[in-house]
This record gives sequence, C-alpha cells and structure tokens, in this order.
Amino acid sequence: MATPPVALRGVTYAYGTGDLARPVLRDVDLSVAPGEVVLLTGPSGSGKTTLLTLIGALRALQQGSATVLGQELAGASERERTALRRRIGFIFQQHNLLGFLTARQNVAMALELDPATTERQRLARAGEMLAAVGLAEKCESRPDQLSGGQRQRVAVARALAGQPGLILADEPTAALDRQSGGDVVRLLRDLARRRGVPILMVTHDPRILDIADRIVAMEDGRILPANEANAVRAP
Amino acid sequence: MNAVPRTVPTAEATLLPWAPELTGAPAAAAPPPPPRSTPVLGALWLPLRLAWRQLRAERARLASAIAGVLFACVLVFMQLGFRSALFDSATALLSAMRADIFLMHPLTTVSFKPEMLPRIRASQAMALPEVQAAVPVYLAQATWRNPEDGTRRPVQLVGFDTESGVMDFPGLAPLIETLKRPDTMAFDRRSRPEFGPVPRLLAERGPFQVQVGNRQMEVAGLVEIGPSFGADGNVVMSELNFRRIMKERQASQVDLVAIKLRPGADRDAAVARLRALLPGDVMVMSQPQLVAHERNYWETATPIGFIFAFGSLMGLVVGMVIVYQILFSDIASHLREYATLKAIGYSNGFLRRAVLSAALILAVLGFLPGLALSTLLYDVVGKGTFLPLEMDASRALSVFAMIFTMCGIAGLLAMRKLRDANPADMF
Repeated sequence: MATPPVALRGVTYAYGTGDLARPVLRDVDLSVAPGEVVLLTGPSGSGKTTLLTLIGALRALQQGSATVLGQELAGASERERTALRRRIGFIFQQHNLLGFLTARQNVAMALELDPATTERQRLARAGEMLAAVGLAEKCESRPDQLSGGQRQRVAVARALAGQPGLILADEPTAALDRQSGGDVVRLLRDLARRRGVPILMVTHDPRILDIADRIVAMEDGRILPANEANAVRAP
Repeated sequence: MNAVPRTVPTAEATLLPWAPELTGAPAAAAPPPPPRSTPVLGALWLPLRLAWRQLRAERARLASAIAGVLFACVLVFMQLGFRSALFDSATALLSAMRADIFLMHPLTTVSFKPEMLPRIRASQAMALPEVQAAVPVYLAQATWRNPEDGTRRPVQLVGFDTESGVMDFPGLAPLIETLKRPDTMAFDRRSRPEFGPVPRLLAERGPFQVQVGNRQMEVAGLVEIGPSFGADGNVVMSELNFRRIMKERQASQVDLVAIKLRPGADRDAAVARLRALLPGDVMVMSQPQLVAHERNYWETATPIGFIFAFGSLMGLVVGMVIVYQILFSDIASHLREYATLKAIGYSNGFLRRAVLSAALILAVLGFLPGLALSTLLYDVVGKGTFLPLEMDASRALSVFAMIFTMCGIAGLLAMRKLRDANPADMF
C-alpha cells in the first residue's frame, strides 16, 4: 500500500474548551514507514502521550487528518476506532495484565476478539508468543508470581499476539530496572522487525535510544526539526 | 556415544511461526478454520467466562456477594411463604366446604361477616335439572367455654343439613348419624389450643358436654378444617342444632347456599345458567371462585398483602444493594485492566456483558443455597407456627425470576462505573 502505516497531517489537539482550551498539539505532521522503529521523546507536557493516544484511536481527533493502518481517524466513529484498536498492539507503562488470569490467558485475551479462532488455537498461539518472549515455563503463572520484567514481557507477548499492524508503546521501561528494561525493548524491537511491524514508542529513557531507526523530539506540542532531535540523541 | 536426536534451539527455532520469510520454511497455508462456535455464542460465552474467572479469583468477595444474594433469597422466600400460608389459612373454612357451587349475597366481602340471602334461593336453584341438591348454610360466631379451665372464646359455628351430603368436610361422613341427635356437634381438631384439649378429652371420656353460646352441647366427633383469620376454631352441626344455639336467627335468612351437581354435569355451564336464573341478590360462584373471592378480600382489603409484598421488596432491595456494591468495587478495582481491554479493542458491549454475566452468576450461586436453606426453614418454622409452609416449584421459579432481575438491575447500575475505564487515560 502506498500510504504509510501512520500518516498525520496538521494534527492539532487541545484539552478543555473555549477560553480554558489548553493546546497540547499544534499542527503536527508525522509519518511512520513500514517496519520503522520511531522513538518519541521530549519533556513532560510536550504532547507525546496525547499524540500516541490519538494514533491509537483512544481519543477522537479534533483537527487535522490522521490515517492509521489505512483508517482515516478524522470523524471516525467509536465502532471504527474500536475496530482499528484491534489491529494495534499496545504496551503501557504498567503491564496492566488481568491479575486473575494466567499469563497464557492474558495473552489469549488479545486473540478472543477474533471470533474465527477456537479456544485451542488461541491458547496454542498464546503459548507460542510466551515462548517467543522467553516465558515458556511461566505460561500458567499469574502476574503476581512474575517479576516486573517478566510481566512486561507478557504485555509484549499480548501486544504482538494479535498480529498487529502497528505497535504503540508508552514508556514501557519506566517501571523496570536498566537491565530488564533494555531486554524488553530489544525483544520488542526484534520481534516487531521480523514481522515488519512499525513501532512508535514514547520514552524518556536515554538508555534505549539506540534501538530507534529515527528519533522524533517534541516540545510544546510541536515536532522539532530533525537536526535538533539528533542533538538530543547524542548527549 | 550415540547422538541423541533432539531439536537444537537454534536462532531459527526461536523465530515466530508467522515469519516464514525469515525461517525459510514454506509459508504455512493457514486458511481460517471454520469457526466452531458462532460469534453470537462467543459474544456471550467469553464475557461470561471472564466474569467467572474474575469472581473466582477473589474468594472473600465472592462469598460475601453470594451471602447477600442468599440473604435476599431467604427473605423473599419467607415473606412469600408466610403470605401464602396466611392466605391459605384465611380460606381454610371455605376450602374445607366441599361442594360444587355456592350462592352468596353480593355484598358479602368475607365469610365471617356474611350478608344474608333469602333461603328461597336454595329452592329456586333446584329448578336447574343438573342440580342434585342445594342446602342453606348458616354461619355465626358464638362463645365457646373451654371445658378444662372455663375461659371463653368465640368459635365459628357452621350449621347445615349434614344428612344431605352436599358439603363434605373431611371427617364428617362417619358422624352424620350422631349429628342428627339434638345438641350435638363436631369440633374442628385443628382449632387453636386455646379451646381446650378437645381431641384428648374425647378420646379419654367419649362424647362430653361443652357450653356454646349459653347452651350445653355435646362434642360428638372431630372434623378437620383449620383455623383462619376470622375464626380460631370451628364447630359443625346440623341446621336444627344451629338454630337451638342461635335462637334469634331467622331460618328464612341464610348465609350461604351450597349446591351439589349431578354426576357428570358441567360446573361452569351450571354456574352460568344459575346466574341467568337467579335474581340479582345472589352471587353464583364455583368453589374455587369462592375461595378466590375470600382470598381477594384478605389480599386487597387488609394490609396483609401489602406487608408481605413490602417485606419481599425490601429483601430484594437489600440484596440488590449488596450485589451492586460488590460489582461496583470489582469494577473500580479493575479499572486499569478494563481500560486496557478497551484499548486493545474490546468494545463497551463486551465489558457490559461481562458485568451482567457476573451479576447473573451471583444470582444462580446465591439462589441455589437460598432455595435449600428456605426449604429447611419452611419445615422448621412451619412446625413451630402451625402455618402451612411448603416449597413448591412455581414459587421457587418466581423467586428465582425475582433474584435474577434483582441481580440484573444491580449489574446494569454497576455498569455505569465502566465509563470511568477510559483507555485514553492509560498512557
């Protein structure tokens, strides 16, 4: 397809309305190529997370145009946005696994959205995914029996299980120590690369900048020109 | 040493199965398998399973929710049981009057306060060929003197032609000859104990004298009727003996007319024909209609129906609040997880179905022990209060419907909390 997985043009977003409106994104253009790993950095309040939620169809677009995996988000209905979210893999700061399900069941939750799969297929796929993130022995463990890094790896497995066309990650290493944080993002990058799935990751963490194909720096709701972004990359 | 053939964990083996272009394996032809379960079934079953897994994970919370439903269930069962038992006992006298059709004055609202109708209507009813017999029935209350301690208490007198065979009280048939004698009567063995230990005295001494309405009467035998709201005890006697006690009563004015039809006659048709035949100062009713008429009085003209309906409603409200609280706190404590499910593409509808499923699981899990406990309580309480408490299938079904509705409403209310699970706040 000619259109890239993510293509934003002139996206502007504000919280609040009227006089209280507080703009967080101003005229943002961004595109992510197939298989590209893009890191979004910038100080707090620069609008990176808002941008991520817009791309993830978690918020309604206010102004501008955004095409994600072929779906135009301007004016998209809740149903269309829900359908799009099924094609996106999300990884959050917290693992957000369901505490009452085993790791395998948690991963299978991402597959239950597809009515054409059987329970056996879903559990088998979930097991393969957990094996791919190195947790084959932990399939039947509940999240509270896993370490932070392991939980985040289960979250990676869940995000990838549904064969998404795009991965969105929000500071996936924030709750992890250096070692396990680095392991998780590299694992994520490797798995995504093999499939050619692009990743858009918001991060503050300078230790993981090396996984990126491209770093996009944001400030005050705008994307900084590329040379300034590279300055951020080489501290 | 023989090399044991085993799969060596190579880099390729760790590759994902859907990356055939990198493993070099032939692309697995993966036609979508035919869905074994239809999407509709999955749309109901998957949220149900999620709800069950979530409930099961927190045993203490599950137990308290079940206890809440069980409590509501037992409360409703007891209220409905008492209500039905009181209505059953209220109509005990009329239920025991086994005849086919009754005539009653249209202004009579309840049997212990009857308006009188002309005795001649009994004779007029005989005009219908399918009527075999029609006997006047006299009802009155008189003072009964306890044969042991002399205390006085009003007792319900039922006087009618005992020989006619029209009204057959349980236990009456063998006493018909005896009751022909002057000043004899049959006592209701299920009368309250305040009337004295009549069955025991009868067994010990044989027929004995009791003062009823200033007249010495002989207790000649026992029938079975049961106390009702209007009367704590009953005695049955011949029409003549009734008039000996109630001297002021005119024989021409009766309280009821009991009609027996010829074998094989159509009762409903006979009722219709009697209605057409008789003037407007009588109401023609089959026996079930008479019982329903009496029951209707107690249900609508007294607060009894309301009291028990209110009690049942309170039980349901309390149960609903408990279930709502449990579901609400369940959602509140899993808000992040629910928001995550929404973020990865689960619809609001799926989560709503999960909450509703949880409510309905609680309904079933609370109802079953509630049913068992109520059956046990019916037995224990029924023996203690002489009330006819019995569990029947239709009551169990209607209580289940109530509990199900109660949990459903609680689920619908708790669902509103799901709105707070906003996936956009997850980042």
